[in-house]
Amino acid sequence: MASVKLTNVKKIYGKDTVAVQDFNLDIADKEFIVFVGPSGCGKSTTLRMIAGLEDISAGTVEIDGVVVNDLQPRDRDIAMVFQNYALYPHLTVFENMAFSLRLKNVPNDIVYEKVTQAAEILGITDYLTRKPRALSGGQRQRVAIGRAMVRDSKVFLMDEPLSNLDAKLRNQMRAEIILLRQKIDTTFIYVTHDQTEAMTLGDRIVIMKDGFIQQVGTPTEVFDMPLNLFVAEFIGAPKMNTFKTNLVCEGGKYYVTPYGSKIEVTGKKAEMLKSKGITSGEIILGVRPEHFVLSNASNPGAIPCKIVVNEMMGSELHLHVLEENGDRLIVRIPTVSLDDDQRNMLTYGHTIYVTFEGKVMHFFDKDTEQNLLI
Amino acid sequence: MRKNKDNKIRKRGLGAKASRNLGNTIIYIILILITLVWLFPFFGILLESFKVETRMQTSYLWPQKFGFDNYIRLFKETDFLVWFKNTAIMGVATSILQTIFILSMSYVLSRLRFKGRKALMNFMLILGMFPGFLTMILIYKVFYDFGLTANMAPLGLIIVYCASSGMGYYVSKGFFDTIPKSLDEAARVDGATRFQVFYKVIMPLSKPIVIYTILMGFMAPWGDFMMASYLIHENSQGMNVAVGMFEWLSRANMNLNYTMFCAAGVIVAIPVVAVFLALQKYYVEGVTGGAVKG
Repeated sequence: MASVKLTNVKKIYGKDTVAVQDFNLDIADKEFIVFVGPSGCGKSTTLRMIAGLEDISAGTVEIDGVVVNDLQPRDRDIAMVFQNYALYPHLTVFENMAFSLRLKNVPNDIVYEKVTQAAEILGITDYLTRKPRALSGGQRQRVAIGRAMVRDSKVFLMDEPLSNLDAKLRNQMRAEIILLRQKIDTTFIYVTHDQTEAMTLGDRIVIMKDGFIQQVGTPTEVFDMPLNLFVAEFIGAPKMNTFKTNLVCEGGKYYVTPYGSKIEVTGKKAEMLKSKGITSGEIILGVRPEHFVLSNASNPGAIPCKIVVNEMMGSELHLHVLEENGDRLIVRIPTVSLDDDQRNMLTYGHTIYVTFEGKVMHFFDKDTEQNLLI
Repeated sequence: MRKNKDNKIRKRGLGAKASRNLGNTIIYIILILITLVWLFPFFGILLESFKVETRMQTSYLWPQKFGFDNYIRLFKETDFLVWFKNTAIMGVATSILQTIFILSMSYVLSRLRFKGRKALMNFMLILGMFPGFLTMILIYKVFYDFGLTANMAPLGLIIVYCASSGMGYYVSKGFFDTIPKSLDEAARVDGATRFQVFYKVIMPLSKPIVIYTILMGFMAPWGDFMMASYLIHENSQGMNVAVGMFEWLSRANMNLNYTMFCAAGVIVAIPVVAVFLALQKYYVEGVTGGAVKG
């Protein structure tokens, strides 16, 4: 258990390929932090710098108050789970899990106790005598986690541990990691490109792009108040719809006018616009797919669209619609509220009217793409 | 009607199974013939070694009288046992030292990234293409000054065989390259030093290439004649089998020693064949494993 502090951490490959730039982050003791971002954003590099597997070009990494920049991985007291499991193929599951303890010359009875205890928590007791090649993907991942667990290390690092598993197993393992976290009370740093994993696992999420931190916050914060357009589009599935429109301030009220409609901004968002003193002008408006609702032609806030793709997800319907100007929007409709006639209407080629509530919009500057309300 | 059509189809040409069997039979016959041609000299030497009625090369192969006379003579009348012992010592020492040098070099080149790594690899590759005997005169001069010729030639030869062996890194480096780097990283995070990673993780996974390297090291002194004869002079106590046995094949000795030479050949082959047979599975894996990724 330990805190981790990264100060102005930078990673440059070769002469000028910058992978991580000015990374500043305080990770509290026992916190579960998730680095998330698209491929090449520097999240794994940052994790590997914390692990000691990559040199740090500039800045400092502290674990429990000690600068570890020049320490070997073995001296950092960390445990790591790799994307491809990295199990030792020539050793049994037991010996894989016991590897680090054997290196420390821990007495046999303690090794046995620790390994069997971890195996029990992970449900792999029956496989302890098997070699990794005789295990399924999910079982291998459990062994990899078990190998890290027996170390009782200060920090637990996980580098995309679920990305090699199929969708069903991934969901199952995700839940198991949440349970595991309750059992082993330590600091977790978890890297993923999957925003669902980030949202469900993290106490806080670090969203990265091109080596820069875009936003750090709790799942609710980054979802409800994305700092910029990138975060807004990256967090949430399907991604947030964004389009240029005008923000109009009339008689103390704010309106947006997407695609010829006129929708009043209400609730907290209206108050925030007012308190920030934002005036009329062109902005980028963001609306999440689930915040769209079906409407009709008589509603002044309704946007006419043509359905081009309909994806039946079971409990909900994802409609890809083309607005009259040719912009493509994604609308998410819960199927429970639809009758048969409506379902038949929500198919390819039909024109529908959609609108959204005034309290669920996000406003971004059209030039800087920053959230206007933060 | 349909049945007739099916029969017609079936009757046209051979069935798939029959055609495959025929193909296999032809291939096996060819392979057996090639094997016989290839094995003929070995059987020839074996038969000659048991020939008792003469010591000369004869026009017939099958001995008129079988016996162990040649083998008895070999051990009683010659220094063959000394040569055999010298060669065996050189084989064991070379295989151990060479394996350490080659595998360490290959692991470093496969795993560590340092300035000039590629240039060094290319340099060694090109240097390795020059025949070893180019440096013979200089080696002799240096070894003579250090007293590593004649009686001490076996030690000198071990140094010659091992000194530049690291340059033969490519096969084992190719093998190490196929082992995921994340295993090294996992072990380092688990608390292993670089050396512990090497011998606790990489070595057990590289059995085929380790055995291949040991075999190659063991084989070298058994067949070396050129460098050995140069360093040994005519000192019988320092000879290896190749140099020692060569003396028997001179124009003057040929007719006196031919069958004994064959007996010695059989004995020389025994350790090499035994080691090969025991380790052939790994040897094939080592050669092909290294070839996957270079």
